[in-house]
Amino acid sequence: MRGWKRGVMIAVMREWRAPLVWGGLLIAFCLAMGELEPFYRLIEPDSRRVIYDRADFLTLLWRHLTVVGIASFFAIMIGVTAAVLVTRPAGRDFLPLVAQLASMGQTFPPVAVLALAVPVLGFGGVPIVVALLLYGLLPIVRNTLAGLEGIDASVLESARGMGMGRMQILAQVELPLAFPVILAGIRTSVTVNIATAALGATVGASNLGDPIISGIVNANTAYVVQGALLIGLLALTVDSLFARLQP
Amino acid sequence: MIELFEVTKRFANETAVDGISLRVETGELCALVGTSGCGKSTTLRMINRLIEHTAGEIHLDGHPVRTFNEQELRRRIGYAIQSTGLFPHWSVARNIGLVPRLLKWPKARVAERVEELMDLLGLPMAQFADKYPHQLSGGQAQRVGVARALAADPDILLMDEPFGALDPITRETLQVELRALQARLHKTIVFVTHDMDEALLLADRLVVMRAGRIIQQGTPLELLRSPVDDFVASMLGGENRGLKEAALTPVSERMLPLSPRLISRSRVGRDATLHQALAVMFREHADRLTVVDDDEMPVGELSLRRLVGAGREE
Repeated sequence: MRGWKRGVMIAVMREWRAPLVWGGLLIAFCLAMGELEPFYRLIEPDSRRVIYDRADFLTLLWRHLTVVGIASFFAIMIGVTAAVLVTRPAGRDFLPLVAQLASMGQTFPPVAVLALAVPVLGFGGVPIVVALLLYGLLPIVRNTLAGLEGIDASVLESARGMGMGRMQILAQVELPLAFPVILAGIRTSVTVNIATAALGATVGASNLGDPIISGIVNANTAYVVQGALLIGLLALTVDSLFARLQP
Repeated sequence: MIELFEVTKRFANETAVDGISLRVETGELCALVGTSGCGKSTTLRMINRLIEHTAGEIHLDGHPVRTFNEQELRRRIGYAIQSTGLFPHWSVARNIGLVPRLLKWPKARVAERVEELMDLLGLPMAQFADKYPHQLSGGQAQRVGVARALAADPDILLMDEPFGALDPITRETLQVELRALQARLHKTIVFVTHDMDEALLLADRLVVMRAGRIIQQGTPLELLRSPVDDFVASMLGGENRGLKEAALTPVSERMLPLSPRLISRSRVGRDATLHQALAVMFREHADRLTVVDDDEMPVGELSLRRLVGAGREE
């Protein structure tokens, strides 16, 4: 019995190796950043402090994840819904419009969105969520459209011919068949937004961008390295998780 | 029974089907034949309302199709198409069970029915139930497509060039199987094809279409013996249509009682066609054949004169 359990554990570990390794490193660096002080001392010999200590790294990581999570959740809801609606017979006229709007969202730099959003929405988490949402919409909309449009017409024809209703076709045929392509879009969106979320630090949404911004302001390269390292590891963890989910 | 009364379909700038009337009796296999773009597929798809007709009426067992709920109508009608349209993300068993599940049959009954159909179509459950469509050969996928169409035991079956994409040998096998299946199940089938030989082999009623209209309809033999115009004659194989007629006529129809004076050594089965008998004569340089039954017992004779139908009025 023991041996069997161990076998399962090993199998799980093997399958989830990449996310486990990256996630493990991420947590380890968050917890033990202080232990690396001699190394950061080398980068920044003249500064009084070389380890960012205005907030605990795990807290910053958590806030970072929350902002990206909320923005991505809404981007997925809005993006997938919009793409589904414009591929229905009634919404087809709006397809070019939606595709274009999504592209515009991407061309608009998040910094500009932040600059415009702060006067309206104030400082804090909300403007960065809005900026990330707009920025993350395009890959999701584009991939959902590609996924839905890419389904073999004869499959849809036979689904109709068998007497499936529109919602049944959407839920049982279209979305499952488009899922891998949609997931790839979500993966791109989320990964890019993990990096972009660091900008939140400039408008008072504290997250892993804090050490970077603070490091730039105070000319402390060690802080910048710490923030960048953790954001990089977070992006790798999440990306490898998606790679694992991809069928 | 399917009836079409003056049915017309106009698309934006063209008339695809132009006032056709047709009656397919219960248990009959009706083949719609014609060149591409003649409106045969459109006609088929108007029956299960995948395409709505512009004018005229289509009745199933006396009720206009428009009085049915679209989805309920389609669940009552089996539908098989050339590219199979199997769901690639579903296993064979799940694909076949689609319509019974839509009809909310209990799970056990669906499973039972799927097994029954796989058996009927020569797809061993153990080997195929859990396979996915991309793991099947063209012929196997088409069998699954037909099984799916038959799943809820519909009275009516619509087939749109179901064997059109298969290699000739597989196609022939499936044609023969469909004929045997139809002999057992007696479905009312509308079968679209551009392959005249397929239509001649399968059809009880043959409908030749051109440019949205019916040019001629009747039994295969009626059409072969008296095509209304050159178009139908050429569709039926031109000069070759004599051989096609021979291929539809059984030896038993032309044979004479055994005459004691001369028994030919060349023989042909009673259930063979005249076409096959002719082939035997040609191969064995014989102008007279002995007709035998299943146990190789002589039951009659067939001369070349009789075979070609000369002197039948004697």
